[in-house]
Parts: sequence; structure tokens; C-alpha cells
Amino acid sequence: MATATATMPTTGRVRKTKGRVLVDWLTTTDHKKIGYLYLITSFTYFIIAGIMALVIRAQLAAPGLQIVATKEQYNQLFTMHGTIMLLMFATPLFAAFANILMPVQIGAPDVAFPRLNAIAYWFYFFGSFIAVAGFFTPQGAASFGWFAYAPLSSTTFSPGLGGDLWVFGLALSGFGTIMGGVNFITTVLTMRAPGMTMWRLPIFTWNTLVTSILIIMCFPPLAAALFALGADRKFGAHIFDPANGGPMLWQHLFWFFGHPEVYILALPFFGIVSEIFPVFSRKPIFGYKTLVYATIAIAALSMTVWAHHMYVTGSVLLPFFAFTTMLIAVPTGVKVFNWIGTLWRGSVTFETPMLFSLGFLMTFIFGGLTGVILASPALDFHLSDSYFVVAHFHYVVFGTVVFAMFAGIYFWYPKMTGKMLNERLGKIHFWLLFFGFHLTFLIQHWLGVMGMPRRYATYLPEDGFTWMNQLSTAGSVLLALSMIPFLWNVYITARKGAKVTLNDPWGYGRSLEWATGTPFPRHNFTSIPRVRSESPAFDLNHPEHAAPEAKASAKKD
Amino acid sequence: MKTNARIFLLLTVFYIVDAAGYAIWATVVNGKIEVIGTAAISMLVFLSGFITFYLYKTNTVQGVVPEDRLDANIEDGDAEIGFFSPWSWWPLALGLFAALAFASLAIGWWLFFIAFPLALVAIIGFVFEYSRGQHAH
Repeated sequence: MATATATMPTTGRVRKTKGRVLVDWLTTTDHKKIGYLYLITSFTYFIIAGIMALVIRAQLAAPGLQIVATKEQYNQLFTMHGTIMLLMFATPLFAAFANILMPVQIGAPDVAFPRLNAIAYWFYFFGSFIAVAGFFTPQGAASFGWFAYAPLSSTTFSPGLGGDLWVFGLALSGFGTIMGGVNFITTVLTMRAPGMTMWRLPIFTWNTLVTSILIIMCFPPLAAALFALGADRKFGAHIFDPANGGPMLWQHLFWFFGHPEVYILALPFFGIVSEIFPVFSRKPIFGYKTLVYATIAIAALSMTVWAHHMYVTGSVLLPFFAFTTMLIAVPTGVKVFNWIGTLWRGSVTFETPMLFSLGFLMTFIFGGLTGVILASPALDFHLSDSYFVVAHFHYVVFGTVVFAMFAGIYFWYPKMTGKMLNERLGKIHFWLLFFGFHLTFLIQHWLGVMGMPRRYATYLPEDGFTWMNQLSTAGSVLLALSMIPFLWNVYITARKGAKVTLNDPWGYGRSLEWATGTPFPRHNFTSIPRVRSESPAFDLNHPEHAAPEAKASAKKD
Repeated sequence: MKTNARIFLLLTVFYIVDAAGYAIWATVVNGKIEVIGTAAISMLVFLSGFITFYLYKTNTVQGVVPEDRLDANIEDGDAEIGFFSPWSWWPLALGLFAALAFASLAIGWWLFFIAFPLALVAIIGFVFEYSRGQHAH
């Protein structure tokens, strides 16, 4: 692999000064380092938005304004909680995992455009900072909800610098996301190793490709809508003016981005668990091709379901959107059968990554089922904008993003750092997180059915919501506590963890990242094994159980 | 490359059907076309159709490449994969100055007149980084 940095010293580590290390990180074009930057930044935002969620839950623990001084502050909290979790935690987390793993999985030395990759990160980094910088202004951050409905988001109803910073910060970070998407598509299409045909790509790489296609389809409308909103707010345009039908225009454009965005969050994390289930079941993934086609079907359909967020406006085509929304449950269900089929009759072991993947599966099925309920307009009219919706999307998004994120971190941690995380602490982390999450959000389904609306700063004692909210708040505390064993785990592993030298520390790794050094060498491979199936590392390490094509090819030599 | 092109072809066909179905259905129910959604889906037809065309064209020009052959060995690929920038200051510079320029739209024009020239310098520096000095060609 002839590259510009092939002359790295191989013997004896040169100790770098702190300044040198900082410069290395700031100027890096290495896809793995950029991936780690994404991972660290997005996890930091996860903690920040998590603390906002705790303040929200504390405020709702009893009727009256207990914690926040004004309802405006409450509005800022839920607006920024949603914005940060979706656009500064979950979306860049996709970029993190895709950057770290996808080039290795296809046997490439880097992504197609390394410097574009770095720009994408810096646009995300600075754009997100601009968007949250509203908290440092006198009037505070944006407070119109993360979907910024017109005319609430106009300067008449939401004056102040916070909203402007939100609009332009998100526009910048959106451009970063688009650049990342273009880069990933190009990489998968052009940088595969010889023999790595499209139908031998690991599922995670497939999902990265499909997610990136979704990004280039739905982020440009968001950029357009945000610039139009910026023009309204700063330059006196009237694009989203109610006088000319602006509110519906905004809602259509926003949800045309907003719904595929949910699948941008979900698909890569489906990919992560699709990598983990086969390894800990000691079986190949069940129904590889159907799984890929299901992913493509979800992506295609997800662009056509947006108005199910707008049923209650009364001016969308209800049967069309109800039909497409229910239709999208079919490929999603196919995926669930693929995962169960992979587990079925496998030699399943319950290491931490597997526990988190199973936690994902259970939580996501719950969220998917309530999604079908909400897809029916007759039920949605009752449940829309209630805590039922809050419970639904937390089951879906937390189930996929957070559970699968931790599964992925525990799974690939040895490849990223060269050390395994502690299993015992990992299991404590999982069970605290699992019970904390379900305690917080399960009860919210009933809260919603009883009629508690979302985004209200408080409620009355006579509403009868108090004990349910207290249960939910208690759960959120447990959820927050579960971060302590994780952070402790990362800390003691860095301090005392034993070095892993095996290429495949889990023993049954399948895709190419398990056939290279631990941690990854600078340009990923010193040599690449022959690719004859979708699990070349497994074929290499377990020749007696290798795929038939791999066995046939080995016999020929 | 054929598989890649087929994925996008699949999307193109789906969005043609979808755009037509949505437009007609909405017109039948409401008596008038729903402009925003129809326009948005139609643009997806252009996007995926464009990429399909490009990939098919590339495929005919390029022929079968090692990464699409079932029996290719690693040594069948090019030894020289390409040039990978080892490190660069320009992404950070461009990110910072572009961010200043974007923030200036919210904060005020005075900042824009400072940030825009800097962003311009950064983008030129980024584009021509490997076309000047020792990399001149």
C-alpha cells in the first residue's frame, strides 16, 4: 500500500510532546482518528443533553415550577435536548462508527476523500457549537422546539439571537453531514478490495451506504428550509409567513428531512447489531440478501412517509401516508426475523456487546409496535403531541442509538484502543441502563393515553399524573447513574487494562476488521486476506467452518 | 459497478411510481395537486436517476473491475491505490472561518466582512494545497 506515510518508524515508540499530540489531532486526515473525534464529541453532547433531560425530569417530578424559574427556560431545555440528541449526538455518532469501521471492513486504506472527511468533522464541530452557543446569550437558546414550526419560529414569537444561532449553526453542521454522506458513498463504491463484491459487503457497510444515500436525499431540503428560515428571521423575507401558507410549507420541508433523519439514526445501528449477533451466536447472519433488500426498502419508503407527523394539521393525504407508514413496518419486521433467525439454535453467549444488542432488540420492537399504532390516523388524533409519542420515539431512538452505540463501543473497543473493557462493569452498566430506561419511558405510554401533553412545563395535582411522573423521574436517575460504571470502566481500562494482541479477541469475528492488527495500523492493513464470502476474517481463522466459496478457493491453491 | 447502478435504478423507478401515485391520489381526493410533496419526491427521481446514469456510464467505460469479480485476489488490484493526504491544516482553517461566516449571518454584517475573506483564503488554500510548492504539477 503505497501512501505518503509509509515511512513511520516501526521499532521503538517515539514519545511525542503534548503539543505534537494536539497538532496531530487537529490536522488529522486519518479516517479512524476523525472517527474517534466524532465519537468523543458526540458522546460529550450525549452527556450534555442527558443532563438537560435530567433537569426536565426533575422539573416534572412534582406539579408547579420546582426547578426551572420560567417556562421559557423549560422550552429552551426541551428544544436543545431534542436538537442536541438528534443532530449533535446521534447523527455524528453514525459518522463516528462509519468512519472508524467502514473503510476497514471493505479493505481500504482510508476513505475516498480524507481531507473532505476532516472538513465534515470541523463543520459539525463548529456548527454544533454555534447552535448551542445560544445558551451564552442574554435571551438564552432557541425555544421553539426542535422542529421550529412556523410561525412560532419567526422573530415575532421567538425574538433573540439564540434562534438565529440555532438556524445557521444547524445549516453549517448539515453541510458537514452531507459531505460525510458523499464521502462514504464514494468510498463504498470505489475503494473495495479486490473480490469484495457488493454482495460480500458486511451488513454494517451496506447500512452505511444506504444511510449515506438517505443523507444526500434529505439533508439538502433541510439546508434549504433553514436558509429560508434564516432569511425570514434576519432579512425580512416572508417565505414561512402564514399569509402565504408558510406553516404548511415549513412542516412539509422539515418532515421531508425529519422522518428520513430517524432512519439515518436507525439504519447504521441496525448494522452494528447485525455485526454483533452472528459473532456471539457463532452463526452467519440469517438471510443476508433479504436483510440488505429490507434496508434498501426501508430507505426508499422512508422518504415517502413524512406527513404522518402532520396528521393533526388536517391538510395532508391521510390514506396515502397511513399506507406507506404501515408498509415500512414490513421490511423492519423482516429485519427482526433476520436477527431472531441468527440467534435461533446458535451457541449464544452473553458478553456485554451481546447483552446490549439484545437490549436493543427488545426495546426497538416495543418502539416499532407503538409506531404502528401511531401510523393509524384514527389513533394518532388522540395520541398526537402526548407523552405516548414521547415514549414511542424514545423507545425507537434510545433503543437503536444508545443500546447499539454501547454494544458497538464494547465490541470494537479492543480494535480502537488495543484494550478490552471490563466485562463485569459492562454488565452492571447494561442492567442499570436497561432498567433505568424502561422505568423512565414505559410509564409514559400510559401518561400519554391519560392525556398528558408533551412540552408542557408542568401539570396540576388534580390531573393525577404525579405518581407516574415520579416513577419516570426515578427511572431517569437510575439511567443517569448507569453512566458511572461506563465512564469508570473507560478510565480503569485506560489506566490498568491489559493489552490485547490478538487480531480477533472475541474469537469469532467475521468481517475484515478482525483480520488486521489490534489496534488498527495507520493505513489499516499490512496484508489483506483473500475475500471469498461476506466473512473473510472468519474464513481465515476457522478454515474448517469457512464459507463453501472460500473452501473451494483454498483447495485450488 | 452494475449492482451499484441497479440500487439507484431501483430507487429511481420507485420514486417515479411514488411521485405519480402521490400526485394523482392527492388530486383525486382534494381536487388540486399537493405541490410541495410532489415537487420533493420528483426531485428524488432526478437525484437517483442522475446517479444511475453516471454509474451505468462508468460501468461501460471501465469494464469489470477486480472488486466486482467473485474470484479476484488481493494482488489483482492496483498496487498504488492513490494519494492520501497524511495531514492538513486546511480543513481546520476552513471549518473555523466558514463557521465564523455562518455565525456572522446571525450576529451581524461587521463580522461577515472579517470572516468572508478569511474563508475565501481557506477554501483556496484547501483546493490548491496539493497543486503548489513541492506538489506543483
